[in-house]
Amino acid sequence: MSTAIKKNTEMMHKLLDNAGVILIYLDRDKNILFCNKKAMDITGLNDGDIIGKNWLEVLFRDKSSVLKRDMLKAVMDESMELNREKDFEGIILDKDGHERLISWNLAPVQNDEDRVEGNILIGQDITEAREKASPSKNIDKTFKDILSGIKEYALYLINPDGFITYFGMGSEAMLGWSKRDIIFKHAGILHSPGASSVGLESILENVRRLGKYETETGLVTKTGEAIPVILTVNRFFDSGGKPSGYIFIAKDITERKKIEYQAFQAEKLAALGQLSAGIAHEINNPLLVISGRAELLKDERDSQKLIKGLDLIDSQVQRIRKLVDAILKFSHKKPAAFKEVEINEVIEMVLPLICCNALPAAEIKIKKEFEKNIPRINGDPHQLQEVFLNLLINAYQSMPEGGTVTISTSNFRDLYAQVRVRDTGTGIPAQHLKNIFMPFFSTKDCGTGLGLSISHNIIKSHNGSIEVESQVGRGSTFTVNLPFIQKEVAGGL
Amino acid sequence: MAYKVLVVDDEDEVRSLLDDLLNREGYLSQACASGERAIELLKKERFDVVLLDIKLSGTSGLEVLKKIREHHKELPVIMITGFGYDEDLIAKSKQLGCCGYIGKNMPVSQILSTFKHLVKKAKEKEHHLK
Repeated sequence: MSTAIKKNTEMMHKLLDNAGVILIYLDRDKNILFCNKKAMDITGLNDGDIIGKNWLEVLFRDKSSVLKRDMLKAVMDESMELNREKDFEGIILDKDGHERLISWNLAPVQNDEDRVEGNILIGQDITEAREKASPSKNIDKTFKDILSGIKEYALYLINPDGFITYFGMGSEAMLGWSKRDIIFKHAGILHSPGASSVGLESILENVRRLGKYETETGLVTKTGEAIPVILTVNRFFDSGGKPSGYIFIAKDITERKKIEYQAFQAEKLAALGQLSAGIAHEINNPLLVISGRAELLKDERDSQKLIKGLDLIDSQVQRIRKLVDAILKFSHKKPAAFKEVEINEVIEMVLPLICCNALPAAEIKIKKEFEKNIPRINGDPHQLQEVFLNLLINAYQSMPEGGTVTISTSNFRDLYAQVRVRDTGTGIPAQHLKNIFMPFFSTKDCGTGLGLSISHNIIKSHNGSIEVESQVGRGSTFTVNLPFIQKEVAGGL
Repeated sequence: MAYKVLVVDDEDEVRSLLDDLLNREGYLSQACASGERAIELLKKERFDVVLLDIKLSGTSGLEVLKKIREHHKELPVIMITGFGYDEDLIAKSKQLGCCGYIGKNMPVSQILSTFKHLVKKAKEKEHHLK
């Protein structure tokens, strides 16, 4: 090597080592062929540890970050495939185990035949810069003081990639996480699907679509407990109009939920109370058969007839058991718990109870029109059963002269599980329709006036809707729409 | 001579039980599942007493009682129901001219003794009127 070339090479190395950014050259398989001093400083690894190794393995040594590694791999694959530069942000662990936010630029390098032969990766540590530039720094101090005094609200910000960049106001008190622990963690840890009816990806999708989104959901505390909240999410933009993240404001509604839950339990018992005459009827009939058959069997000597009689008794015992099970399941006190449920199964559970709502003098037919294979929803089956039982009781009670109640389910526009409860009863006068979901509004002598208002709250907390159409003398139709589970998309937000 | 009883109940197990019990007690029982069928049978045959369930699918027990009264003013009709002791139902049934009311929640021995007592009373009344 000539002196001039050697000098040039040394100078280039010096330049690269002192550039103040992380510089890495990767081959097509993402193995590191070169890295500068900054890359070694920040990772705490030396030449021998790094050169020839797969970059993703070096960067994500932490086993828990498989998802981040796969996301980054996808970004790089896309960049190489399309031969296009790519900017992205990501978190890496430095040599002390601290998380650093790095802004990366990935540029494919082509060979003479225009084929991508590798990538240059330039990384800039923007941890401090981002902290300084985060909107919280720009909030006027007085305003911040006011905000920090409010305890029943939590305010946090996330960047477009879903990582928490600010965790303020009552967030620490409400959610148990300290700022230190949670900053730069993915917001997914606060929005676990088990605690809420709506996942993070759906929330952000709605914000992007609507500009602002409000929903009732649950947030997960550090100890894994779910807190019910009303969540308002807005986007915010940098001075250039580029989206720079989302503002989350969560209001703790634990107390309200407790009261709602008590009302919900009371209403369930009231619903059972309204069914009590029918339940008695449904038990008295098999009881009569049991005791009557036992009476007849006392004198029976024919073994065939004995067996037949005992089978009859057994079938009547099963009939009572089935009903008692349905009553117990319905009246059981259970805290709200969301899970994946099939709408048809939820309704099937209440049908044994509604058969008790038969009035002695009125013939009421129940028609089931269930669509098969309706996608699942995220819901609390006990709360939803309460809603449908309520709608069915109302339908029955609106038909004192008899009629038909039709309960149908369908897939509504591939977005909602739709349930319609249609009766051929007396109908609801127009002046009452607007009040029908108000608490304590009732047109019935025996009603608590809470059934429909509680149903309305339950459906709202499932991010669904409940509507009524009615014509006096023709009947009413209640329509409930409950959103399907939206599968969370892996990768960037 | 044994009395002929028409049992009307839409539940198979209950109907066949009442039929078996009454036959054992020495009545000549015939059973049917609906009010419509009962009206038809009453047009064709003579019965001494009707044991009529209140909650029937199709025409309700109370409606059937009303229809029976259109043609058979004096035929003893005893109402039976799984709703138990219900003052409203008893009042309505009496108003429509039934001669007694039995709850299916009663012990079997009491159901039978009440039935016998009501039939006896109705027959005495019939005899007295004649």
